[in-house]
Amino acid sequence: MTPGDRTLALRTPRRISLLRGIRRDALVGWLFVLPALSMYALFVLQPLALTVQYSFYRWDGIGPATWIGLSNYATVLSDPDMRETILNAFRLVVFFSLIPVTLGLIVASVIHRVATGRLGAAARTVLFLPQVMPLVAAGIIWGWLLALTGLVNQFLTAIGLGGVTRAWLGDFDTALPAVGLIGIWVLLGFCIVLLLTGMTKVDAALYESARIDGASWFQELKSITIPSLRYEIGVCLTVTIIAALAAFDIVYVSTAGGPGKSTTVPGIQIYYTAFLERQVGLASALAVALTVLVLVIILPLQRLTRGSDR
Amino acid sequence: MRIARGELYAGRALLLALMAMTILPFLSVFTTALHPSGTLPNGLDWPADPQWGNFVEAFKVSNMTALLASSVFIVLAVVPVSLVISTMAGFAIGLLRIPGSRLLFLLFVFGLTLPFEGIITPLYYLARSMGILNTRVAIVLPLIGLFMPFAVFWMRAHFVNMPGELSEAARVDGASTWDLFWRIHVPLARAPIASLGILMSIWAWNQFLLALVLVEDPTQRTMAGALGAFQGHYATDIPLLCAGTILILLPTLVLFILFQRHIITALLQGSVKG
Amino acid sequence: MVRNRSHGGLVASVPAARLLAAAIAILLVAACAAPGTVSSPSSTATTTPASPTGSAAQSSAAAPSASAAAAGPTCGTDPLEINAVFETGFPTVPALADEFHKQFPNVTFKVSQDQFANLMTSTPRLLSSDTPPDLIRLPTLISLVKDDLLKNLDDYATAFGWDKWPAAQLVQNRVSTDGTRGSGSLYAMGLNNSLTGVFYNKKLAQQIGMTEPPRTVADFEALLGKAKSAGLLPIMVWNSAKSGGGLAFPLQQLMAAYGPTQPVNEWIFQNKGASIDTPSNLNAAQHLEQWIKSGYFPKDANAIEYTDANARFGKGEGVFMFNGDWQDGAYDKDQPGNVGFFVFPPAEAGGSLAAMSSPLTFGIAKTAKHADCAAFFFNWVATNDKARDINVKGFGSNPGGPPDLAIPPVAAGSVTNDTLAAGAEVAKANGAMDFIANATGSIFAQGWTPELQKMVGGKQDAAGLLKAVQAEYAKELAAGS
Repeated sequence: MTPGDRTLALRTPRRISLLRGIRRDALVGWLFVLPALSMYALFVLQPLALTVQYSFYRWDGIGPATWIGLSNYATVLSDPDMRETILNAFRLVVFFSLIPVTLGLIVASVIHRVATGRLGAAARTVLFLPQVMPLVAAGIIWGWLLALTGLVNQFLTAIGLGGVTRAWLGDFDTALPAVGLIGIWVLLGFCIVLLLTGMTKVDAALYESARIDGASWFQELKSITIPSLRYEIGVCLTVTIIAALAAFDIVYVSTAGGPGKSTTVPGIQIYYTAFLERQVGLASALAVALTVLVLVIILPLQRLTRGSDR
Repeated sequence: MRIARGELYAGRALLLALMAMTILPFLSVFTTALHPSGTLPNGLDWPADPQWGNFVEAFKVSNMTALLASSVFIVLAVVPVSLVISTMAGFAIGLLRIPGSRLLFLLFVFGLTLPFEGIITPLYYLARSMGILNTRVAIVLPLIGLFMPFAVFWMRAHFVNMPGELSEAARVDGASTWDLFWRIHVPLARAPIASLGILMSIWAWNQFLLALVLVEDPTQRTMAGALGAFQGHYATDIPLLCAGTILILLPTLVLFILFQRHIITALLQGSVKG
Repeated sequence: MVRNRSHGGLVASVPAARLLAAAIAILLVAACAAPGTVSSPSSTATTTPASPTGSAAQSSAAAPSASAAAAGPTCGTDPLEINAVFETGFPTVPALADEFHKQFPNVTFKVSQDQFANLMTSTPRLLSSDTPPDLIRLPTLISLVKDDLLKNLDDYATAFGWDKWPAAQLVQNRVSTDGTRGSGSLYAMGLNNSLTGVFYNKKLAQQIGMTEPPRTVADFEALLGKAKSAGLLPIMVWNSAKSGGGLAFPLQQLMAAYGPTQPVNEWIFQNKGASIDTPSNLNAAQHLEQWIKSGYFPKDANAIEYTDANARFGKGEGVFMFNGDWQDGAYDKDQPGNVGFFVFPPAEAGGSLAAMSSPLTFGIAKTAKHADCAAFFFNWVATNDKARDINVKGFGSNPGGPPDLAIPPVAAGSVTNDTLAAGAEVAKANGAMDFIANATGSIFAQGWTPELQKMVGGKQDAAGLLKAVQAEYAKELAAGS
């Protein structure tokens, strides 16, 4: 029934009761939504609004707050340290997002092509494991592995690359990539499993005929997999980009933003600003900026990769 | 299907290498946990004298019984309620298509992109003004709210794909909306509800930030929240620290291994259905 | 869209705890001032700290009345419960509480413990809550006084005679009406006085020919060179951002050796016009830079955390280590009888001794119910024999109190003997300094640590280091933190 039909139906008594029926349905429907909506509004939307409000003040969290308008935002945009944190966030996107998606596509297509049996199933399970643990734990564990005498360096020495060893998380040049590596470890499995599941929905006949024609693994990937998995790739990118931009746990636990400020990402900066410097207003402004940044990137991405309007 | 043998082996080798890289960290922590307390082991060596007692010690020291109880309480308080209200909302938005569905849906989806850092400070003051600060309720209520975006998204994805004939037939029989929901659709939605429940349980268990900020008494927080306190206590004792880390990982790990089929396939089904 | 909610943690996950819990005894954060009006701390006017619930800060606690002046207030004989908030990782404090309960059975302690990093953010909330603590570990002082959350202890000081103790014990806990530390009314008490300096591995020291503690900085540097030539690691240190830059320890020691301590203290206490960028400090920083360039510190210093550094030193890596006497027990356990301690020497032979020495500060909430009993506890810790014994054995440092009370004996061979002796010397020389990492709430995390890390990485020099830290300091003070 279109809205037009409905208005036409308003005229007669039978139609009036129909309208009441419709209204009642809508009302009942809304009652169904109410509990979830209330919890969400109360504990997510309201604090978000408050954060926006705080961003216009200077406040230490306890004493009186002073209105300073857009001054905090000016600081966020002009302070070189803060700008650098945003750059670091983008650098992390390369590691947390682009690499897992790319590598995920490769691995998923490999599994799909050569390991459809038990190996594939085992790979799926094992590679997904990191998703289940608290990120805090992942950061701690990798912190040990990446130390000067840790497993990574032991392995490098064993294969003859002893000259390259160093404390990866303490070196200015390698700290951020090292943090990125941890992110890859955590997120790769997610992408692989997501893409694999997407692949099972692709018509197997396509793959069959491609293989009969002798298509290489790469050709298969390029012509069949990637086009068909536009939506899944989009989801993968979205989740991992958010993980990169909003990163905190992993970075804090492995480097706490150091050495220097080379791994200070917005999440860390917000923490220091809010809780150590006690500038709740400035921290809120940075948080708002981060949220806006996430939306600005994710929304177009969603539009681009939406398979069909669902 | 003609796939070159070389490709077969290369592919499998790649998989095995990646699997090894994924498991190695876990193994390393595990073997380190078995070393005598106070030593400084590196790498993967299995100790000459495995100290299984370290796990017991770690359990006692970090007051894990209290934390386990606390975490279980939080999961039990959060997950069932979240399941009920999100299923209801998903039903209304996805099936009933009430006026404003599109808007509501977008509103919830917006929540999926929110960085946590954006709301934690006001959440504290909110909890304080509600008088629930320092109680587990302070973790439970916000967590329910925070789960709503994903949960509603998930349930809606299921209901959107339900055929309309079911509802029409029921209506003709004089079913009320509630009947429609409870008697017909909820039983049909068992699989996504179960998967959602498992997912939220894992996330509630791993919840760290809320516990830390909103509950002052460390013994009232969650297991993941304990990790921090634990490191504070056992500064120099790496093996004990590792034992503690393993203990904290264990519940979710076990849950995952038991239900991995459910979790993985359903999780991705939901995200794919969009 | 799948959103994994298990990430996005914000506060003090993990290492923040270790970070500060470790270097703790002297990490008094003299943090930000509240924007707006500065309420006069010594007045008894009740200013309401602005909070969403507007909880009133009326002093409902019984102020030490004039009538109690004679002998000081006591805990009475009726059963009462002290609401106490302690920090994790320091079992001595709960041990003291237990002993107190043994001696005064009517007093029970309701203790809650948390990591130092968490306390940094939660103390203001706890102090202004409806059930404020009677006894609480204070990670910061100035801002809490400015927000009128702490009880003024002046009357207790007079009643118990604390003002007769060596002034140096109380000076770091005084806050004046203009919001600077070092003078004014007393707002906190220390449960001990820790001391920092240089620990050394006796065997390795012998190996490089050290027969007695170096008398001058030059002597010390000569030893460092000898250690390096012998293929040993001269100094073990932690410099990861997770624990905070441990290089601040040797830096400050060098500052004290090459210049007067008063200006450094003034800078820490946020006195007007104070600067850390002075010629003598530059000299000190240049020495540190030289040490770094000469490879006297571990190559991976920027990735070493506090706990790892101690563990490695305990395993024999490093001839020297700059740390504080709270580590006495751990070092004794790792290398029984093999660890010694000396105060960092002055620049010239016979110059005055100085070291970072700070009490583990505790305070009483302004609206605490049992303020009198808490004050009595403070007094008891410093004067009661059994308490002092626990204090020395647990903290490894001077329990403070009246100067004529004997210091309880310690087992022979324990490095605590060295630290106690050294502590006495430093006290005599009036050379106690607060820690440069405590100047503001975030000068450590945002100033010292990143700049020291850059110096290790060859990206910062001595002059740049001081300028950068001073700029960060000025920025924070201007913003009101």
